[in-house]
Amino acid sequence: MNQAKLGKTDMLNLFKKMLLVRAFEEKAGELFQQNLIPGFIHLSIGQEASSVGTCSVIRPNDYVASTHRGHGHMIAKGADPKRMFAEILGKSTGYCKGKGGSMHIADFSLGFLGANGVVGGGFPIAVGAGLSIKLRRTDQIAIVFFGDGAANRGTFHEALNMAAIWKLPVIFVCENNQYASTTSISYSLAGGSIAGRACAYGIPGYTANGNDVLEVREIVGRAVLRARSGEGPSIVENKTYRYRGHFEGDPQKYRSPQEIDGFKKEQDPIAVFEIRLKTAKVLTDSAAKKMRKDVAQIIEDAVHYAREAPLPQPEDAMEDLFVNP
Amino acid sequence: MIKIVIPKLGLTMESAKLLRWAFFTGSRVAEGETILIIETDKVTYEVPAPASGIIHPIAPQGTICAVEEVVGYIAEDREEYDRIVAQQPGMTPEEKPAEEIPERFSPPPRDVRLKASPLARAMAQEHGLDLRIIQGTGPAGRIVRPDILAALEKKAKMAAKRIERLNASTDKEIRESIPITGVRKIIFDNMYASLSQSAQLTLHTEACAEALVDLRQRLSGKDQKISYNAILVKTVAAALRLHPRMNTSVVDGAITVWKQIHIGLAMEGNDALIVPVVRHPDSKGIAEIERELAELVLKVRENRLSPDDLVNGTFTITNLGFGDIDYFTPIIRPPESAILGVGRIVAKPVIKGETVVPQQRLGLSLTFDHRITHGAPAARFLKSIKDLIEEPLLLIR
Amino acid sequence: MTERLLSCSEAFAEALHEEMKRDDTVFIIGEDLRAHDGIFGQFKGLPSKYPERVIDTPISETCLVGAGLGAALTGMRPLVDLHFADFFTTAMDEIANQAAKIRYMFGGQARIPLVIWAPDGGGLSAAAHHSQCLEAWFVHTPGLKVVAPSEPADVKGLIKSAIREDNPVIFFQHKKLFAQKGPVPKEEYLIPLGKGDIKRKGRDITIITYSRMTYFALEAAKQLALKGIEVEVIDIRTLKPLDFEMIAESVKKTYHALVVHEACLTGGFGAEIAARIGEELFDDLDAPVTRIGAKDVPIPFSPLLENYVLPQVSDIVRGIKKVLNLG
Repeated sequence: MNQAKLGKTDMLNLFKKMLLVRAFEEKAGELFQQNLIPGFIHLSIGQEASSVGTCSVIRPNDYVASTHRGHGHMIAKGADPKRMFAEILGKSTGYCKGKGGSMHIADFSLGFLGANGVVGGGFPIAVGAGLSIKLRRTDQIAIVFFGDGAANRGTFHEALNMAAIWKLPVIFVCENNQYASTTSISYSLAGGSIAGRACAYGIPGYTANGNDVLEVREIVGRAVLRARSGEGPSIVENKTYRYRGHFEGDPQKYRSPQEIDGFKKEQDPIAVFEIRLKTAKVLTDSAAKKMRKDVAQIIEDAVHYAREAPLPQPEDAMEDLFVNP
Repeated sequence: MIKIVIPKLGLTMESAKLLRWAFFTGSRVAEGETILIIETDKVTYEVPAPASGIIHPIAPQGTICAVEEVVGYIAEDREEYDRIVAQQPGMTPEEKPAEEIPERFSPPPRDVRLKASPLARAMAQEHGLDLRIIQGTGPAGRIVRPDILAALEKKAKMAAKRIERLNASTDKEIRESIPITGVRKIIFDNMYASLSQSAQLTLHTEACAEALVDLRQRLSGKDQKISYNAILVKTVAAALRLHPRMNTSVVDGAITVWKQIHIGLAMEGNDALIVPVVRHPDSKGIAEIERELAELVLKVRENRLSPDDLVNGTFTITNLGFGDIDYFTPIIRPPESAILGVGRIVAKPVIKGETVVPQQRLGLSLTFDHRITHGAPAARFLKSIKDLIEEPLLLIR
Repeated sequence: MTERLLSCSEAFAEALHEEMKRDDTVFIIGEDLRAHDGIFGQFKGLPSKYPERVIDTPISETCLVGAGLGAALTGMRPLVDLHFADFFTTAMDEIANQAAKIRYMFGGQARIPLVIWAPDGGGLSAAAHHSQCLEAWFVHTPGLKVVAPSEPADVKGLIKSAIREDNPVIFFQHKKLFAQKGPVPKEEYLIPLGKGDIKRKGRDITIITYSRMTYFALEAAKQLALKGIEVEVIDIRTLKPLDFEMIAESVKKTYHALVVHEACLTGGFGAEIAARIGEELFDDLDAPVTRIGAKDVPIPFSPLLENYVLPQVSDIVRGIKKVLNLG
């Protein structure tokens, strides 16, 4: 699947999905401010091109292992915003019946193996999914999203090595938003490139402009093709930027407001794509307006559903530990 | 010479510990004065002197004595005292009473932490043992299971001894032990269930039996003698027709009034109470009832009753007239709700007009379940029976 | 049932042969499995019979345990060989944070048919990094089942059940018991998780133990039987779920309990058992529940030191005498 084959409808769907991710995240931030979301949440505003672009080139039965910043990945994989909001509001009709919350949300029916509260926790799981695919001889693939911080964990290297020696259909998709929590890659990343680490394992390491959804599509698409044809894993490093703090409420003393504004003005993935679509006459102003209105309605409905959804019973806490006790 | 014995302070008390004597041997005591402090598993008790005199304790302090055991004596005078001391030397010097006797005895403080294993505590509580009188043999003197077992054994021995003593005085020996099994067990349980699970009340009355005696003679022919029981079965059946509410059972929590009348007649057979049932006596003639009864009696005697002969009764008659009984309180046979006890027919003086005349009389006792029937309807039912006995002509109504 | 004498290794291998034949989603993953059919011979005949399903990994315990989890989540039924239980430390996140929690935190969406198998225990002068008994860490983590059998027959019946479980199971086997022989039924059988086994009946005291200490407890029981003390030995076999019913029934009969394990005493699983006996059977106890475990130091190398640290039969005999107040 490459850009050349992308029709008008596909383009508009990509755009709409990015709008949906952003609207979801902005609403989540709003609800958090209103103290309607217990705990804490990590938002991916600014990274929509990476999540939507990546998930647009994989199949429904492919696996995705996600991160603590996983709302976008899950929506891009096709999750229902209603049940997502219900989950992060701690309701019984949420994806995980209120047991997981924002950081541990999953939909196994979508092959979405879960957000993960442990940075770098997804790598070995994705390798296992890849191994399972190989043993079962299907043509599925597994994607593991990770941030720049996770690239410094041991699991990253063990997983790359293992996936490479067995040529597993696993794609390591890095969302390099330049900060591991509060720590800049300029300080923490030896060698300066995450994709560059691929050469040590003899596998391709691609770098993409993570704010360009079409470029993300194209490059991840290449890795997908390679994985599906049994040639093994790749790293794709989507260089991107998050607009919000590591978590909502992060004072963000590690970066300047100017830096954030710069990205917002010049590289916003949605704005960039919108201009491109309009220039190509794929999208009109009024269509864009209507699309934003539709998306806002979807989110409004989802929030309404989640707020009305029943709370779990306290005793429900004792369920779901074991298949059989 | 007056004996000082351990008093029985409660129904379950079997023994007590002698905590302290209040007097040395040879001391003078006044009647009612505290002479001894004992402790049971429930209380501490001051034993008063049974009489005034000179005291001579014989049981040492700290020992456990059975109820009614003699623990000392009170002599009337010095002479008697010397005689007692010669016969019962009493305590050795180290067991003499404590030096200082407080004005009022106070029991040892209860908050002294006793060391006992949880199991020992549970066992002691279950058996009503006072842990304070048990010597622990576990680590650091902890009372453990073997100590409790030893104490229980001691207690059992003491109780056995007491029973032995009691037996010795009454000379009671077992002649025979009859196991409660089989039919006896069923009767055992049924009778208990009857009295424990219903509210039974018995009414007594007396009927003039002249007509009854006369009827029996007239009905009896050469071939067939008619029994009082046959007539009574018929009579009661007729009365039940008039009072269907007496023909009831409690079934599944509801009062069930039976359509059919089946009357059981209590008989003695093979050392057990057997109640064969005459079915539909209300629609049978007396002669027919007599034949059936005779057959049932024979079956009882030959032990060949079938279960069908015994089930589905709705009312029972029991006749103890043969034993010269006038009145008694029969016990209902569950699930029935009433039973008629029939006494003897005997001539009694009866006032007729201004004179006393002899008349054959018959005692009747009706037990009924007060949960189901009130006194008034039951009395009316018994009255109907009485009327029918006194005027059998009414039977053909 | 006909029985033969098999070693724990042989019984284990036989179970694996049966399960891999029965279900082709069962596979084995770990380090150094193929060259010698497992370092304890526990996979005898399997690498050649199932070349694709006995997978050697690089020395990457973190990833191989995590990969087992990932495979279990996506339709396979892996048995992860951790080489030595001591290496659990290197995969603790994958076990405690991921495998144990994924089903629960995702609201029951996942099934996790994963066995993590690890040889544990001392007595081989393998010293601090190859001798530990770490079961307490895992019983302390909700979401894991924990098995530690002793006899070959139990090893076979329990590993078969563990493989068929849809929940993560940590399966310990004591290194000193691989060569231990015992009767094993010839016919196929399963032993359910969560059922203990009374290895010796007795009326005076209950020993609650598992793994290698079962044999030590039986030896102590034999010695004391000569003196008329009848020791009941319960091999719990599965630590979680625990067959507390069996323990309770026994203690209610003997009134005395001694818990024995090879793991170090403080914070060991014995503390859990002792606490539960104290809580639930208080009134049945004629003496305090007592524990025997290793001394609270890492396992030293020199045999003399190691023997001093690990519980011995004589320690168990002493423990029994202490509980029974026999001086």
